[in-house]
Amino acid sequence: KPLTANFNNMSLQGSQCIDLLQQKKLLPPDGVPVPKPAIPNDSRNVNCNPEVFRCTLNCIPQTSALLNKSRLPLGILIHPFKDLSQLPVIQSSVIVRCRSCRTYINPYVQFGDSRKWKCNLCYRVNELPDEFSFDPVTKSYGDPQRRPEVRSATIEFIAPSEYMLRPPQPAVYLYLLDVSFNAIETGYLSMFCETLLEALDRIPGDTRTQLGFIAYDSAVHFFNLAEGLSQPQMLTVSDVDDIFLPCPDDLLVNLNESRSLVMDLLAQLPTLFEKNMDTRSALGAALQAAYKMTSATGGRITVMQTVLPTQGPGALQNREDPTQKSGKDVTSLNPAIDFYKKMALDCSAQQIAVDLFMFNGQYADMASIECVSKFSGGCIYYYPSYHVVRTPHYVEKFEVDLLRYLTRKIGFESVMRVRCTKGISIHTFHGNFFVRSTDLLSLPNVNPDAGFGMQMTIEESLTDVSTMCFQAALLYTSSKGERRIRVHTLCLPVSNQMSEIHASADQQAIVALLAKMAVDRSLSSSMSDAREAIVNASIDILGSYGSSLHASQRSNGLPVNEQLRLIPLYCLALLKSTGFRVTGSVPLDERTHALQQYKTQPVSQLIQMIYPDLYPVHTIMDVKLKKKGSFECADLPLLQLCSANVDRQGAYLLDTGDIMYLYVGSAINEQFCKDILDVPNFAAIREGGIRELPELENDGSERMRTFLASLMDNRPTGAALIIVRDDGKLRLQFFQHFVEDRNDSTISYHEFLQQIQGQIKR
Amino acid sequence: MATYQEFIQQNEDRDGVRFSWNVWPSSRLEATRMVVPLGCLYTPVKERPDLPPIAYEPVLCTRPTCRAILNPYCQVDYRAKIWACNFCFQRNPFPPQYAAITEQHQPAEIIPQFSTIEYTITRATCSPPVYLIVLDTCMDDDDLQAVKESLQMSLSLLPPNALIGLITFGKMVQLHELGCEGCSKSYVFRGTKDLTAKQIQDMLGIGRGGAAAQPGARGPQQQQQLPSNRFLQPVHKCDFSLTDLLGELQRDPWPVSQGKRPLRSTGVALSIAVGLLECTFPNTGARIMLFMGGACTQGPGMVVGEELKFPIRSHHDIEKDNCKYMKKAMKHYEGLANRAANNGHVIDIYSCALDQTGLHEMKFCCRYTGGHMVMGDSFNTSLFKQTFQRVFSKDAKGEFKMAFGATLEVKTSRELKVSGAIGPCVSLGVKGGSVADTEMGLGGTCQWKMCGMYPNTTLAFFFEVVNQHNAPIPQGGRGYIQFITQYQHSSGQRRVRVTTVARNWADASTNIQHISAGFDQEASAVLQARTAVFRAETDDGPDVLRWLDRMLIRLCQKFGDFHRDDPNSFRFSENFSLYPQFMFHLRRSQFLQVFNNSPDETSYYRYMLNIEDLTQSLIMIQPILYAYSFSGTPEPVLLDTSSIQPDRILLMDTFFQILIYHGETIDQWRQQKYQDLPEYENFKQLLQAPVDDAQEILQTRFPMPRYIDTAAGGSQARFLMARVNPTMTHNNMYAYGGEGTAAVLTDDVSLQVFMEHLKKLAVSSST
Ligand SMILES: [Zn+2]
Ligand SMILES: [Zn+2]
Repeated sequence: KPLTANFNNMSLQGSQCIDLLQQKKLLPPDGVPVPKPAIPNDSRNVNCNPEVFRCTLNCIPQTSALLNKSRLPLGILIHPFKDLSQLPVIQSSVIVRCRSCRTYINPYVQFGDSRKWKCNLCYRVNELPDEFSFDPVTKSYGDPQRRPEVRSATIEFIAPSEYMLRPPQPAVYLYLLDVSFNAIETGYLSMFCETLLEALDRIPGDTRTQLGFIAYDSAVHFFNLAEGLSQPQMLTVSDVDDIFLPCPDDLLVNLNESRSLVMDLLAQLPTLFEKNMDTRSALGAALQAAYKMTSATGGRITVMQTVLPTQGPGALQNREDPTQKSGKDVTSLNPAIDFYKKMALDCSAQQIAVDLFMFNGQYADMASIECVSKFSGGCIYYYPSYHVVRTPHYVEKFEVDLLRYLTRKIGFESVMRVRCTKGISIHTFHGNFFVRSTDLLSLPNVNPDAGFGMQMTIEESLTDVSTMCFQAALLYTSSKGERRIRVHTLCLPVSNQMSEIHASADQQAIVALLAKMAVDRSLSSSMSDAREAIVNASIDILGSYGSSLHASQRSNGLPVNEQLRLIPLYCLALLKSTGFRVTGSVPLDERTHALQQYKTQPVSQLIQMIYPDLYPVHTIMDVKLKKKGSFECADLPLLQLCSANVDRQGAYLLDTGDIMYLYVGSAINEQFCKDILDVPNFAAIREGGIRELPELENDGSERMRTFLASLMDNRPTGAALIIVRDDGKLRLQFFQHFVEDRNDSTISYHEFLQQIQGQIKR
Repeated sequence: MATYQEFIQQNEDRDGVRFSWNVWPSSRLEATRMVVPLGCLYTPVKERPDLPPIAYEPVLCTRPTCRAILNPYCQVDYRAKIWACNFCFQRNPFPPQYAAITEQHQPAEIIPQFSTIEYTITRATCSPPVYLIVLDTCMDDDDLQAVKESLQMSLSLLPPNALIGLITFGKMVQLHELGCEGCSKSYVFRGTKDLTAKQIQDMLGIGRGGAAAQPGARGPQQQQQLPSNRFLQPVHKCDFSLTDLLGELQRDPWPVSQGKRPLRSTGVALSIAVGLLECTFPNTGARIMLFMGGACTQGPGMVVGEELKFPIRSHHDIEKDNCKYMKKAMKHYEGLANRAANNGHVIDIYSCALDQTGLHEMKFCCRYTGGHMVMGDSFNTSLFKQTFQRVFSKDAKGEFKMAFGATLEVKTSRELKVSGAIGPCVSLGVKGGSVADTEMGLGGTCQWKMCGMYPNTTLAFFFEVVNQHNAPIPQGGRGYIQFITQYQHSSGQRRVRVTTVARNWADASTNIQHISAGFDQEASAVLQARTAVFRAETDDGPDVLRWLDRMLIRLCQKFGDFHRDDPNSFRFSENFSLYPQFMFHLRRSQFLQVFNNSPDETSYYRYMLNIEDLTQSLIMIQPILYAYSFSGTPEPVLLDTSSIQPDRILLMDTFFQILIYHGETIDQWRQQKYQDLPEYENFKQLLQAPVDDAQEILQTRFPMPRYIDTAAGGSQARFLMARVNPTMTHNNMYAYGGEGTAAVLTDDVSLQVFMEHLKKLAVSSST
């Protein structure tokens, strides 16, 4: 059967070849569409949501030779625990799985007759259990295809007891709070306490939920919150080189039983340490103590850290050479000691994840500390130089982030296994986890905002098959103590045609995977190797595309199709991003954090990080409204990041995900100033971070705030808002994101293309 | 001239001093032949409400090597305003403020009746005393509740400006911050880890290198309260919060499994207490008050293992050198005791448990610092409660009967040197002209330190006569000793008590009768008892007994009147006559016969003997027995089985016990409730009389004695039987066959047999 017949719509797209050197407009005004795989006979259109599960190629090359020739990376990007509005959940005494490869039954299996099914990963024919096709309503055996397992590519099972090694653990949350002099200075603690107090009724859990707190400076302070005490008891252990728990119980308490003590403590924690003069930090000892507290149950450890740990185990030294913040040789990206990784592995073995909130302005050795989260399935937030007064924009962001963090869904003691159709295998994983066996990721906690990437190789030719599948199964304990399995199945066609491969490319996914690969490269080899690899990827991909064209189609330009046209732009953006740039001054911790983000962010957030969204907000009253979620908001076009798109009359919103810059041109009309910023004119605009836009009663203000709200909607983190004047100090910071421009020592997009063209010709 | 009895009593009343010899042999050789060494018992802060308040500083002899204090024995030239030192004969001008003195207008310190006088040094700063509670929480709830209540009660007895602190311990050691609002705070230490003082200070942020003391890299330079104030706060500031804190205190939360002892970290707790005071209040009056309900079972200072199946060491184990933990523990506590003593801090131990708690290992803590050692069965007893309350008793002026941080210096006239002291003190190692070459007790110094002192605290001092045999009787015919005690009064004032004593010299070779007439058998008995106990700490028990026997025999030989080899001819003069009896009872007392007691009890008994004054010590050596009967008024009777009669009630005071024993007949009447019948009012009164007398003793004694009410045949009657002279024993009762007197089950010889042996040996020409 000719495969090409299935790709009619796609080949049409694929035929649109453009010359990058000529074509300046690359970005559709309403964003880059996510391609969907065209699978044969997909009448029900049940394939997995690309936001959850996507492949760099929506058509799998039949052979590794074909893949190699395309120079495209093959990998999947998965966001397995993403919040979903509709998730079929089934509770069944029997979970139907392939007896040979343990694949879960899914929409792409073949049913021979009503009693048999053929596994789409290993091709074994399995018996179908009677219960599977039994319809309890009609009390008769019917068509197995009615089953939700077969009707949805994403499904969740409530697992029976054989999926438990032990009774499901309770939700256990332990907070480790830096209370050193510096920490108190930042003022984060008040916000933490207020937010947790506010969220106390909404943190996921049931009647068994346990909570605990550790504060630390050069000593570790425990809190006995035993039910019945008249007030919290603080127990300080200063022997940080040999940390121990000061009492056998009551450091982790049942939230219901000790709620009033917890609230009491949260209310007084900020004042408890307000006069603390201790500048040292015994993070390592606090972590060891936290491990001892949670190791019997498993759970989540949340660390708030503002300084370099200097005391006890895990003490670190300043490795940042201020003279080396820029330059080609970026050093100290790897951990200085293995303490934090070992800690993470110990935690992982006991089903504990460590999440990290960093607030440091001075170097705190993120590269070393972050290991505690990286290998335990944790997540990392960073607010550089956080200060309650000096960085108001971060205050708002931290509050939003923390509230989401505290109340978002959580899965405990989880593992994720990714299976592929025979012939393909996974060789590299990206994300925060510990690889327990070749295809099993240990995730002591799984959170809805974590993304993962996997690189694949084609080991056997896929000549006999028209499709192939990936299945990710996430086994976890819900905060309510249920053992659950969430299964995602992605089905892709197989092709032996290079044009089809090219046409199926998912350029955002490709760049996301390239970024993850480059991070590994920067750690295992060097930053310059990583950068070179990014450049080479562009050269190779475009070169491969060019050479795949018929001679008649070839021109002197830099030809590329629609699905690959953004790759050089994104690659350049990556080279200029915080993680990979070697010009300008990037503090080591900020770079490390950026690299870490590249490894764990789902595709769309990652793309936004490196190529932020730019909107001309001065036109907000001129554009029509569109429906976006629950919002009626201005339909502002996306602009490319080139300074030609910015003029003095305008105001622009640059959304990097973490930060939103509102850039105001010096010739902006006074109406905008009055309506949006509540100032009479441009001269009165104060540059810098703000918590939020003023709430003014006029259409402009309302539209603007609605627009911002729509951008924030469904986003897992808050965004800091910074006002930038076009004559202000922050201008440079703003334009740094304009990756298409040439500035200082970086090349422009056009120059980059010429460089690529030159390399291809060689 | 008054009798020697009167002379001795007068001197004791005035100076708090009792000498073994009140006339001193003038040569070294003769002195050594006196058998009982020249020594004295001195009570440095004996209550003297009659002393005039002296608010100036003492006048010192100007000779740099002397520095004796002006006293009534000095020759004064009123016209020239010059005084001659009676120790070195230096002639010293009076200071200008003495310009007005005349024979009629004398300063108090040279008036003969003020041979003991006390100066208050007003320029010295008054610092309030520090009380650091160290409380074991491995107790059952009743005991813990009782000790908590006692401590809460004590807060109201302390002076409001006194500083107080709290350490609790079980498996862990917790040092509590005081005066916290909203959230109680404490520092927690592992009970197994021996931390150096420096480490403790660093961890608390109070040492010189501590976190808080370290200039914070970017910390604001604001006024900070002393970091130690977190742990030691004035009572008036924290008594409410401390009351609450004590109220909320729970027994140690760590689980104790079957067959195990609770993990108790006494050694580390004490180490932290010592470390805390060491760096915060060195050389300030402070007491660490340790309350423990069992033995230390882990960490440094551990005295017994966790397994219940292995009991705590006994005297037999010690004898067989079969104690796994003892020596290490002793080293730990002795080290702590030395540190506390160096800093002038007292360690009190209140040990209440049915089993031993390790007082044997910990005794140094009290001994070196003059702390209280109290032993009881439970904190929930009046013995503990009343005793503890009595710690805070006050004198007529409303001031605590306790003194802190004392140094006592002994100065002697040339013919005499001080060879040592035995008592609750440590040597300050100060060499000087008055230090003897030979050592008795803690010697090699003329200054000692007593961190804690009470009105009854009594030290034994021993002296050596250095005058050569052929040298004449020293000039003036008298020898002098001056005791200079500087201490912190409970009010915070620095005070100096000066006692100067003089005694006549006599040539023993010609005037032995003068010397023997000055023999104080009571003082001598107590001095010998202290010496024996001091020796027993290091020597074998039998060696000590042999030494005591030998000394007694030699004393009899030297001062007895007898015909050689005729025991019946032996006579002792009156002022020696009781001495053999004291020795007899000392030999069989719990101080030297240890196997009926636990090592803890032995340590406790010996400690009390080592600290108490002469009267109390004598009671310990030879208990007092009173008899109550219808045949007359209550009377002291012989401590002898013959005193036990069916129609008598006996009251025995052993210092440690007050025992009322009802004779068989009395007990029968009592059980038949005759005392409730109106016509037997006199029987009721008879029963009540010893109870009232016992109450009187119980009211005043510290520590409160154990009160025992028993009767003939009662199980507790054994305490009486153990102490009375066994005239009637199962060995000889058939021979004597005394009717109606009780037999004592003992293999000890009776006093009579003992005396017969003694006489035989004393008169024997072969010894
Ligand atoms: Zn299969
Ligand atoms: Zn002199």
